[in-house]
Order: sequence, then structure tokens, then C-alpha cells
Amino acid sequence: MSKIKQFVQQSWLLIVASFFFGLLIAVTDAGLSPRIEQNKVNKRNRLVGALLPEARNFVALDTEIQIESAGGKTEKVEVFKAQSESGQCVGWSFNASGSGFADKIELVVAVDAKFEKIAGFAVLSSNETPGFGDQIKGDYYRSQYKGAPAGELKLVSIGDPKQIDSKIVAITGATVSSEAVVEIVSYFVTQIKEQMQKKGIIGNVQQQAS
Amino acid sequence: MDTLNILLMGFISVVLINNLVFTKFLGICPYLGVSGRIDMAFGMGMAVTFVVTLSGTLTWMIDHWVLMKLGLEVTRYVCFILVIAGAVQLVEMYMRKFFPSLYDSFGIFLPLITTNCAILGLCLFLTLWGIESLLDAAVRSFGAGIGFTMAICIMAGIRENLNLADVPACLQGAPITLITAGLLSLAFMGFAGMIR
Amino acid sequence: MSNSRQAKPALYSQTLLAGLWRENPTLRLLLGMCPTLAVTAAVKPALTMGCCVIFVLVCSNIIVSLMRDLLKPHVRILMFTLTIATFVTIADLILKAFQPEMSETLGPYVPLIIVNCIIICRAEACASKNGLVISIIDAVGMGVGFTLTLCVLASIRELLATGAVFEIQVLPLARDGGWFVQWAAMGMPVGAFITLGLMLGLVNIVTGKKT
Repeated sequence: MSKIKQFVQQSWLLIVASFFFGLLIAVTDAGLSPRIEQNKVNKRNRLVGALLPEARNFVALDTEIQIESAGGKTEKVEVFKAQSESGQCVGWSFNASGSGFADKIELVVAVDAKFEKIAGFAVLSSNETPGFGDQIKGDYYRSQYKGAPAGELKLVSIGDPKQIDSKIVAITGATVSSEAVVEIVSYFVTQIKEQMQKKGIIGNVQQQAS
Repeated sequence: MDTLNILLMGFISVVLINNLVFTKFLGICPYLGVSGRIDMAFGMGMAVTFVVTLSGTLTWMIDHWVLMKLGLEVTRYVCFILVIAGAVQLVEMYMRKFFPSLYDSFGIFLPLITTNCAILGLCLFLTLWGIESLLDAAVRSFGAGIGFTMAICIMAGIRENLNLADVPACLQGAPITLITAGLLSLAFMGFAGMIR
Repeated sequence: MSNSRQAKPALYSQTLLAGLWRENPTLRLLLGMCPTLAVTAAVKPALTMGCCVIFVLVCSNIIVSLMRDLLKPHVRILMFTLTIATFVTIADLILKAFQPEMSETLGPYVPLIIVNCIIICRAEACASKNGLVISIIDAVGMGVGFTLTLCVLASIRELLATGAVFEIQVLPLARDGGWFVQWAAMGMPVGAFITLGLMLGLVNIVTGKKT
């Protein structure tokens, strides 16, 4: 009995304080979480909005799209449908990630409505070398993706960056970072395209042609 | 084979490429404090490795199996620091009782470790990197400890030799240690891009 | 009685100034090194970090000072940690809500304020022994001292790494026809370590410390 009394004597403040702090965190979280969620949505809309200028709002696709990750595991990807003011589908966007030069690179990729051409990508987070690898965020590199075919991309060391095709010209001094982005984008784009065609969300291009 | 590959990659990445001291600036305080002598440095490194492996694994389990299930991610920081403080206390008591000789060699560093940012830092980075399996989390935690030990031992070796060098009076002590750490981190940058 | 009342303002200003230079946490006490090095690649994150630290420091000093007579020795450190962790969580939420970009740049270094030695050191050395007013003044002094140091370090690094301070271009870049070639290493960990090392050396010269 005396042990319990001693325990209470020693720790009543701790217990009271834990409740008080718990309440404090809960109140702050309840007050701020809508704003935090809104911030996340706003950020994606801003980034993808720059790539798909006609897009007004984004709707998450309710069909599950699963792709095979590099480790052989299946991974869920949330694909968003970009709609114009009149509700027409103007494109698709999804997050893609993979390992870069120093750390993970996270991208948001936008593709046009028919999934034929890439509309571009934006870097969500990366830790590439300043001055070299982080030029993947620059216009010189990113503009090469604008309008490139949505399929396998290839990295070349010499070429004309202004010419839009499946060849992406590497950044001098940052071949590994350039290659990482090419791999991430082509991997995700081809896998998601295949899955979406299988599920009948987008038309099968080859069938239409024949 | 694939699992082994991922584990090995994770280990190397956290020891060399994302070394906590040189690229994430974690654990600088003990790094400046005890890197004067190589045996002290090794003791500290071992203590950190021990605690970081334990708490990295524990916090991963709590984060994935309790907090994420209940949607209580907002209390993550409070839980993490309590788990770490508790783990350090337990390890200290256990060691004093059952392994007195081990306690004598690096037990004195244990109380300092609770406020070592390397430990909490690693737990947070495990969440940030999105580690999916318990084994991966454990291996990376262990790797982080090894990386810290390596960094602090290299530094201690250099500092023992620095004692013989003619360092300008104003730079003696912490300043020259920081500058040396800078040069070391430059060397460690060479490891980036090793995994691809 | 009147004597102590006269002495109070002097004590307050002394406490405030101690944090700025004489007991500057980073430069003189070598506390809180990890945020000092990690977030000073540019001035804006450094300033944000400083504000977070001031907020947490003031709040935790208030709470610790209020319950200083109730603290039992066994649970003292645990209590401090709990208080600090709570306010760091709140600061992190506020940052996420109102400064989402900065929150992303700072990443895990915001929660790492929990283990920043400055805060627990002030709770132990000042707030658990002194009254409310002194504790708040001490927290503000220390916090501002820390923020100023961070900003100075960050200005040097940002200027040399990008030729800009607070994202305003100061030096004409060679790329745009000027003369300044960006010094990328300053933006990397190397720059942080070496700049801080040299800064500490400079402080030693100024104060005439000989070891």
C-alpha cells in the first residue's frame, strides 16, 4: 500500500502533465490539420497545374493501380485525373520515386489525357548535389520531357535538347542524376499505362490503330 | 537474394553515403566532446551503436504497428523520445547488473546518449525514408551506429595526431575539429552514387 | 526591499545580454551544433529554425519555471523532455500549416529541436531555479542569440554558395555576365563545417582566448 502511495507521490505531476500535454497536442492538431491537408493538395495542384495549364481540379482515381516495384513487390500508386473547367479529362498525374545520386528522388509526373505524351515532371523532394545534380529541377532538363512520348525514355550524352523525342540529353557533370530521373519516369509511366489500359480506363492505342 | 541485396544496400547507404555525422550533422555534440582519445571514442561509438539499434527497431515497431494503425502520427515525436529515454535507462540498469565490466568500459556514456541527436534523428529518418520491413529498419539502425562509430574513431585518430601539429592558437580545440570534419565530409561525398 | 527592486532591471538586461554574446549558446557554449550546421545553407530556413527554437524555448521555460517547486528529482529530466517534445510537436504543426515550404526544407530538423541541448540546458540551469520573468527573459536572450548566430552563418554560406542573401541577388553571377562564380561547396556539408570552424576561431581571437 505504501508503495502505491509513494508511486503516486512521485509521479502525480507527470501523469497530470501527460494528460494536459496530450490535450494540448490534440487541440492544436484538430485546429490545424484541415489546413495542413489543404496545403498538401494546394502544392500538388500548383505543381501539376503548371504542367497541365488547362487543369482546374483533380480527382483521385477510385480504381487501384498497382505496379511492380524494383524489389519485386507490388506498390500502390494513386493516380489523379485532371479535369478542365467543363469536367473534361485533360490529363493524369501521379507521384513517382526512386533512388537518385545521394538519396531518394520524388517526382510528380503529368501525362496527357490519352496517355500518349508526357506533359512534364516536377521534383517534390531530392537531395542531389547542389550545382550539379540539382539541375534536374532546372528548365533546361525539365523542358526535354514536355511532349516526350509516354513510354521508354533513353538517356544520351550528346544531342539536341530542344528536339522533343524519347531521347533525353544528360546534364553535364550529373549523368547519374539525369539517368535516375529518366529511369523513374519511364518505369512509372510504362507500368501505369499498361495497368490503366488493362483496366480499360484509357483506350488501348494499338487496338485503335488496327 | 533480393531481400539480401536490399539489406546490404541499405546498410552501405547508411554507413557511407548518408553517414549521420558527415551528411546529416547528427551527433555533433558528442563528436566534438569525446573524439579526443581513440579508446573513449570507440566506447562512445559502441554505446551509440547499441542504443541506436535497439531504439531504431523499437520506434519503427511502435510507429508502424501502433501509431499508424490508430492514426496517432501526431504524437510521434513524444512517443519516440520517451521510447529512447526508456531504452537508455533499461540498457543502463541491465548492463550495470549483469555486465559490470562492459558497464565500466562504456556505461558512463549511456546517460549522455538520450540527448544525442543521432538516435532520435535516425528514428525520424527511418520514417522519412519510408522503410517497409522490420529487418530493413533494424539493419539500417545498426548501420547508422557503425557509421557513427567509424566517423568518431577516424576523427579521434586524426585528433591524436593533431596534438603534434602546430595549430594556430585561435583554432585549437573545437574550431580545428570542425574544419577537419569538413574535409572528412568532403571525402565521404565521394561515396555518393556508389549505389545505382 | 527597495534595493532589490532597483537591482531588478539591471538583472533583467544582464540576463538578456548574456544569451546574445557572453553565454551565446552556439559560439561560446558549443550547444545545439546539429541545427546550426544543418539548416544554414540559406538565411530563410535558418531564420525559421531560429523562430521555432525561440518559441519552444520560451514555452518550455515558462512551464518548467511554473512547476519548479513541484518537481521531484526522479522525474525531473523526464518532465523536461515531455514538455519540450510537446511544444516541438505544436511548433511543427504550426509550421506545416502556415509555412509548408519551410517545413519541407527543414524536414526532420524541426523535431530534432527536442534533443537540442540548448533547451534542456536552459530548463535545467535557469528555469528550474528561477522565477517566471527571469526564465522568460533568459529564454528570449538565448533564443535570439542562437537565431542571430544561425543567420550570420547562413548569410555567409548563402552569399558564397549562390551569390544571394535572403534570396536577393547581391553578387552578379558569371552565368549572367557578372564576375562571381558560385561556390557550390558552401551549400554542402563541407561549407557548414568549415565556416563554423573559422567563425569559432574568429570568436576566439576577439575574446582573446588562449588554450
